Formats: sequence, structure tokens, C-alpha cells
Amino acid sequence: MKKHLVGLAGAVTAFALALTGCSGATAQPSTSSTEIVPRQISWLLSRPADGSVITIVKKLADEYAAKHPGFSLNLITTPDRPSYLQKLQTLAAANQLPELFDTDATPFTQKLVKQGKLVDVQKMLTDLGLYDKYRPLALDYQRFDDGGLYMVPFEFELEFFWYNKALFQKAGVSVPKTLDDIVSLCKPLRDAGVIPISVDGQDGWPLLRYMSYQPFRLAGSDYVDKLKKGEAKMSDQVGAKAVQWMSDLGSNKCFQDGFSSQGYTDARDLFTSGKSAMYQIGTWELASLTNKDVPAAVRDNVDFFTLPTVKDAVTADNEYTVVSGIGMAVSQQTYDPLMKDFLKFVLDNYSERLAASGHLTPMQGYEPTIPAGSSDLYKRALAEVNNLGKKIAFPWDTKLDPTTNTLMQQELTLLVQGDSTPAAFEQKIDASITENAPKFFG
Amino acid sequence: MTSTVSAPERRRRLNLARSFTNLLVVLIVVVQVYPLVWLFVTSLRPAQEFASGNAFGIPSAFTWDNYVRAFGSADLGRYIFNSFVVTGVSSLLIVLLGMMAAYAIKVLGFRGSKIVMGAFLLGIIVPVQIALVPLFINYSRVGLLNTYQSMIIPLVGFALPTSVYLFVSFFEYIPRETYEAASLDGAGPFRVFFEITMPLSTNTVITVVFVNGIFIWNDFIFANTFVFEEGMKTIPLGLQNFIGAMGSVDWTATFAAVCVTVTPLLLVFLVMNRAIIYGLESGATKG
Amino acid sequence: MLPGRSRTSVLVFLVPPLLLYLVAVALPIVQSLVLSFFSWDGVTDLRLVGFSNYVKMFTADPIFWRAFANTMVYLAVCLFFQLGVSLFVANLLSYAGRGKEVAKTLYLLPAIISTVAISFLFQRIYSYEPAGLINQLLAGVGLGDLAAPWLSQVNTVLVAVSAPEGWRFTGLYMLILYAAILAVPKELEEAARLDGASTWQIFAHVRFPYIRPVWVTTMIMAATYSLRGFDIPYLLTNGGPGQASELLTTYMFKTAFRSTDFGYASSIAVFIVIECVVAVGLILLLLRRGRENA
Repeated sequence: MKKHLVGLAGAVTAFALALTGCSGATAQPSTSSTEIVPRQISWLLSRPADGSVITIVKKLADEYAAKHPGFSLNLITTPDRPSYLQKLQTLAAANQLPELFDTDATPFTQKLVKQGKLVDVQKMLTDLGLYDKYRPLALDYQRFDDGGLYMVPFEFELEFFWYNKALFQKAGVSVPKTLDDIVSLCKPLRDAGVIPISVDGQDGWPLLRYMSYQPFRLAGSDYVDKLKKGEAKMSDQVGAKAVQWMSDLGSNKCFQDGFSSQGYTDARDLFTSGKSAMYQIGTWELASLTNKDVPAAVRDNVDFFTLPTVKDAVTADNEYTVVSGIGMAVSQQTYDPLMKDFLKFVLDNYSERLAASGHLTPMQGYEPTIPAGSSDLYKRALAEVNNLGKKIAFPWDTKLDPTTNTLMQQELTLLVQGDSTPAAFEQKIDASITENAPKFFG
Repeated sequence: MTSTVSAPERRRRLNLARSFTNLLVVLIVVVQVYPLVWLFVTSLRPAQEFASGNAFGIPSAFTWDNYVRAFGSADLGRYIFNSFVVTGVSSLLIVLLGMMAAYAIKVLGFRGSKIVMGAFLLGIIVPVQIALVPLFINYSRVGLLNTYQSMIIPLVGFALPTSVYLFVSFFEYIPRETYEAASLDGAGPFRVFFEITMPLSTNTVITVVFVNGIFIWNDFIFANTFVFEEGMKTIPLGLQNFIGAMGSVDWTATFAAVCVTVTPLLLVFLVMNRAIIYGLESGATKG
Repeated sequence: MLPGRSRTSVLVFLVPPLLLYLVAVALPIVQSLVLSFFSWDGVTDLRLVGFSNYVKMFTADPIFWRAFANTMVYLAVCLFFQLGVSLFVANLLSYAGRGKEVAKTLYLLPAIISTVAISFLFQRIYSYEPAGLINQLLAGVGLGDLAAPWLSQVNTVLVAVSAPEGWRFTGLYMLILYAAILAVPKELEEAARLDGASTWQIFAHVRFPYIRPVWVTTMIMAATYSLRGFDIPYLLTNGGPGQASELLTTYMFKTAFRSTDFGYASSIAVFIVIECVVAVGLILLLLRRGRENA
């Protein structure tokens, strides 16, 4: 009996190791062949099911399938980002990544690159004759900080501060010139009974955006690229300035009370219902800021300003957060003539259709069609694309190692709510980077 | 103490106590049910009114728009169907396998049955999250991801301990003489199982199905880990779809979807209500 | 043992359930245990690290201890509802007049609503800006000053995320306890009443001792389900603000799927198993004590 048990335990352990240890042996399609053999391919996405990207790609895939019988594209979307990331990571752990999948240029993705799992998109686009057609900023957003490009962008959106002119007037304040001006707007706005800024605090990324502003103005992207590797400290001058600013935003009651349990929709609704004066979001929300359901008193008063500057800024006023959305990675294992042909077909036609649906495109040379009946704001906002500078402020959530990223989002909430101090914040972040950065950037 | 109180006075006090009791019962019913009523009312509320912050007043108008959007953005029928398949098959297996194991342990008996029972009991206390990563890897190796089995196997596995435990407790109540008489009539262990044990266990079966059924119907974590194809999603997972890409939620449509997905189970529940409660009452006390 | 049973019949009945149990529950537990001695990010190769995951967990990870403390509070709140409130309601119901049956059904309703829906619902109930149900009620009865962003305050969030979990299954446990109360012999209660015992005394000296075994079963069920509690905190606050509502389970989940530290996550999982075993052991010990004293 005992012997049996020992044997069983041994077998189970060996099995366990075998399961987790060895790498999957998915059949590799022969790369030597240039023949296009239609089959089903899958794309794991994290985009809204009824959004422009999926609608357009679905249509293009149908057209492609009509010409290539046997081809089909299986689109699997998980719009909720945390759920999506869990899925992606489990799939990667089980070595089951599909042909195409969405991901940002995160340290985790960089690991996949180092394992040779992703197709070099720079090479692929050049190969397809498309590389030069893209907006350089759209590609830059997808790059790792070593310049490597492994994801294809499908969007191009500018992030602004939207504000309500009527509420500004009511409080007797004007558009802020510097980041510090934003803080000083809060008291007069509060005195006028207005929430200065509505923010989605439930999801971690919006506060992290705010965190990235001061360093971008003071030091460009250099600071975060060093910080994440532990070469710069949160307590350095630049970092400390950002931390203090976040703390000031909190102590001046700039955000709505209870922001940390309020979601994306709540923040937007506070702005569109005229309760908050400012709201930071990208042009992807243009339609909901200008559509006819928004009360006229708000709609007619919405305007925007771009990221304010700071004293001694190293980046220009027309350089701010610009995103080309979560990118699409191509699995190396299954990249074959069919994939190449299909991607060329999609990318060739995609931007034109995206422009027709009223969006800016990752490729240049397509003028977005302004939806009929939308206000002048829509046009003006999109026209800013022609004034863009050369650099973009990167969101920090794609830069930091995942543990520090999670921690910073949590700690930012505490800092802004006044449940933590700048010094404690800096100390915790620095400690986390010291511990976790080597696992990803070592 | 009682002798000092006159009979009418005592009756009056009793009545007072009873009214107070009833009032409390009603109050608790309100606490339990109000949120669900609110859910339903909100699903009929115009989206704009909800967005403008008036979420708890009496709606100014009723609209089916939210339902139209809910059905437009997700295949609710599919989710409901999948949930029924998963819950149905799992419940069947939990009952059958639980009963079989309990029968082997308690009725048939064998050397080491205590150890086996202990092994099962250990499962009551194991958190399901521990199994996620290994199971995911195991399933992907044998190609079980995105199948009903990938949800059913762990759901049954983790529910089995409770089921075995309840059946073993119940089988203690069946007098040995019943079995012995049947054996004398020449019934083998299989006939005894199907003709005596099974029919006698109805109430325990109801308890097991109901208690586990609820947890299975609500399962989010296994479905969320092992299923990603749209066509295989169960209700809890499907509802998650209403959370948009950056966290945006169409609240009123979401509530409409919740109402739609709750309805089938609610109907089952109301129809079988008496049987369930009766079964629970007789099954649980012997558990 | 049933006369006429054979080795084959035992195997026929025992092997299928045992096999499924081993594959679905035992194997992954063993795999987790093995994994907890490795460092693995899911992409690169496994690296054997011995006990260092455990050393980090116990000595160098304040979030882990925070999550552990939170889990205990979460457990307490759930037990308050599922054992306390449900026992109270079950008793109440036994004295209630007509409409008992309807009330029982209605109590059970929240249990069939999916967790995702429950957390959507409570997000609105706790909301502050715009005012949610609780804050409106407070304002309605003139206690507007007490209105607060319940899910944003470090000191209220934990109870706020625990309550829905406790609330939704109150009906289920209530029903089980109610059934047990029904089984208490009426003669015993009558005899006590004639002796002049108050309702409370009847409960404490007659009813409760009688239903104690069922109560303990309920306690084990409620305790182990609560220690595994995950969905509502995960969906409602995702552990925040800060780590104020982080449970061991959500922390484990994040460690595995956010930080891709599967080895460390496994060691947290192993700790959760041990914690559950200890909890059940304590409950059973309590039961034995109670019996000896009774």
C-alpha cells in the first residue's frame, strides 16, 4: 500500500513537471512554401465587440474569404482589459497563443519577443510595402524603448482635457497654461459648486496618466524609461515633483469625492451631465461628447485644451499623450504565406474604411469623414492631428513591470485620497522597482 | 412568572409579539428583494435619465430600448443555453457520482473507506483558485479549452466532496435491515442501489442539486479562465462583456441583460419552489 | 458492509467518482504544490528556488499579511450574515404567521442572481457621486452628514465588499437552519414554556443545543466558501483603494495573472489551503468543546 502511494506521488510529480516544464510542439507550417493555403485563423482581441475595428476587420475578412474559399477569421474579443490580460497570459503559459493577438508594448510582451514568438512588424510592414504609409507616431506608440516594433496599430487617438466653458465662466477661471494652474483652478471651481475634474478611479490607468504628465514635461520619456529599470528613483527631483503634484490634486479636492470607486462611465456622465468642469480622455469619446443625447447646455459649451506645460519644459506644447490603441501581434509560429497575404489585404484597405467611420487613422493621408450633424468641435478636435509634435507622452502602464504597475495604481489612489504621503509613496515604489525590475529588465 | 399574567393579557402580548415578528419578516423581505426590484425598474429606465444621476427615483418613462441594446450587443440566448447545459450536466454528475461514492463508502464498505472519505472531505476546504493555472495547462494539452467539459470537470470535482458528505450522512439514516431484507431476497449491490438507495434519496438529491446548482450557475472563475469563445460563454461571463474596452459600461442595457438572464432560472425556481424547499428541509436536517 | 457485495461492485461504484476527483482536484493541488517551489513567469523556463517563495511570503511581503488580515474580516462579516442573521431570521420565521412560504422563497432570491450582476448592483447602491441607494436613504432620514463614498474609504471598503457576499447567501443558510429548527421536538419546547422559560431561554437551552450539529455543518460550509471568496471583491473594487479590500484570493490571482509570478502565486494558494484546513479544525474543536460542556 505504502509503496503504491510513493509510486503514485512520484508519478504525479513527474507529470506535473512535464506539464509545466516542456514547451508545446505545435506543428510549424513550412516556411519554404510560398503557396497560400486558406484555413481558419484566430485573432484574440480586447476591443469593443461593436466598435469600428472589429466591424471593419470582420467585413474585410468576409471579402477575403469570398476570394479564398476555406479561409475564415475567428474574432474572439474580451473588451474588459484585466480579464483579457489574464487570458493572454494563461494562453502564453500554455503555449497556445493564436495567430493574431492584441497586446501593448509591455515588459511581458518583450519577453515573448525574446523567446522569438512574435513576428518583427517593422520587417513585415516593410516587406508588405506599407511601412512608410504609417504615421511615425502611430508606430512609435507600439515600439519598445529599444526601438523594436512588434505590434500593428489599428487606431490613432489624441488625448485632451475637455472642459465646460460655462462652468469655467461661472467660477471665473480661465484655461490653465501650466500643470500647476490646474491645481489652482480647483478651489474656485469647488466654491462655485462644481466638481473640477471627473476621473475614472476604478480603473487604474487614468490616474497613471496624470502621474506621467509632469515627468514628460520635465524630462521627456527618459525619466520613465530609467525609472522602470531602477536607474532613476521615484524620489528624484522629477519624480518627486510628479508625486507632489498628484498629492496636491488630491488635497485641493480636484477629483470628485469617492472617485476611486467610480468607473469609466461615471466619470464621463459627470462631465456630460454638467456636474464636472474638466475630463481627460481621448478622441475615441468624441462621439459621446458631441452627440444629441448630451444636454444642449453642456454640448454647446464643451471645448478642449491639450496637455499644459510646466516651467523649464523640455517637450513642446504640441507634444502630449497620443495613442494608437492596443496593438496586434502576429505569432511567429503560424506566420505563413496565407497570413502574409491576408494581413496585406486587411492593412491595405483598413485605414480608408476607418476614416470613413469618422476616426483618425494609423496611416497618413486619409481624411476622417465627420459624422453628419455633429458639432464643430468634432472637426476642430480631429484637426489637431496636423499640429502634432515629434514626441509622445507614453502611458506608464505599458512601461513599468507588471507588479510595480499594479502597485503604483493602487498607491496613487491612496496618495490622492490623502491616505498616504508623498514620502511613503516614493519609498514603496522605489522598493518595488528594486525588487521586480530585474525580473523583466535584467 | 406566567401565573401573574391574566389570560387575555397574555393573549394580547402574544398577538403583539406576533405582529412585531411579522413586521420584521416583511422588513427583511424588503431588504432581500428591493435591490432586485430596483434592478428590474432600472432596466426599463431611459439610459439618459440614469446617466444624469437620477438612478433611484421613480422613472419618468418606461422604455424597452435597453432590452433592444442588450440583445443587440450579446447573444443572451446562447449564454442562457450554455449556463443550463453546464449547470444541468454538472448537477447530474454531482448527484450520480456523489451517490455512488457514498454508496461504496457507507453501504458497501471496504477496507480503507475511512481514508477515502477523509480524502473527499479535504476537498470541501480547498479553494478553487489553486487549481486554475495547473488545470489551464492540463486542459490546453489535451485540447479541452473552450468546451463544456472544461467547466464541468472542475465544477463537479470541487462540488463532489459536499455531495459525498451529504449522501454519506443521509445513508446513515437508512436502516441496515432494509438492505439486509433486500439481500435475502437475492438483490445484488446494483439492484439495491437502483431500487432502494436511489428512490429513498430524493430529498438529499434536491439538497445537493440546489446548494451546488446555485454555486455552479453563478460560477465566474472557471468559465473566465477556461472559456473565451463567444459561443461557449455562460451567463456570468457573458455579462462581463457589457464592460467595455476601457471600463465603460452601458448600465441600463447591462441591467436589462441581467433581467433577461435571471428570468429562466427564476421561472424554474418558482415552479419547483415547493419541491425545493420541502426537499431542502427534509434533506438538510439529516445532513 | 452490505452482504453479497463484491470487490468488483465496490470498484464500479468507487472508481468513477474517485477518478474525477483525482483529476479535477487532487492533481492540480499537487501541481500547485510543486510549482510553489519554482519561479516561473509562464514564458521562460522554470527555475527551482526551493523555499524562497515561502520565505518571501512570510517575512518580506506586507501586502500578503494585509490580505490575510482582510480575509479574516471578510470571513467575520460573511459569518455574521450567514450564521448570525440567518439563525435569527430562521427563528423569527418559526414564530411568524401566514406568508412564511412566500417569505422563504423571497429570501432565497439573491442567491440565484449571478455574481457579476450582484456586483454591478452594489456598485450603484454604494455610489456617492451620484448618490446611490444607501446615501440617498441616509439623506432621506436626515442623516445626510453620514453619507460617504463607501467603496473609496479605506476604513469602510472592506466591510462594504464583504456584505454583499454575506447578504446573498443568507437565505440559503437560513433555510437549512429553519429546517433544523422545525425538527426540534415540540414537546421539549412546550415543556420548557410551561416551566416559564422565555423565548430567549427556549432558544438558548432547547433549540440551539438541538440544532448544533446542523449549525456546525453550516458553519463549515459558510467558512470555507468565505475563505475562498473572490468574485465580489474582485469585480467591485479589485482590491482597492490601495490594498484595503485585497483578499488572499484576489492577491493570489493578481500575482499569477497580473504579475505573471506563477510560482509565488502557487505558494499563496498552498497557504490558503492550509488556512482552510486550520479553520475547519478549529470549528470541529469548538464543536467537541461545546459537546463536552453541554
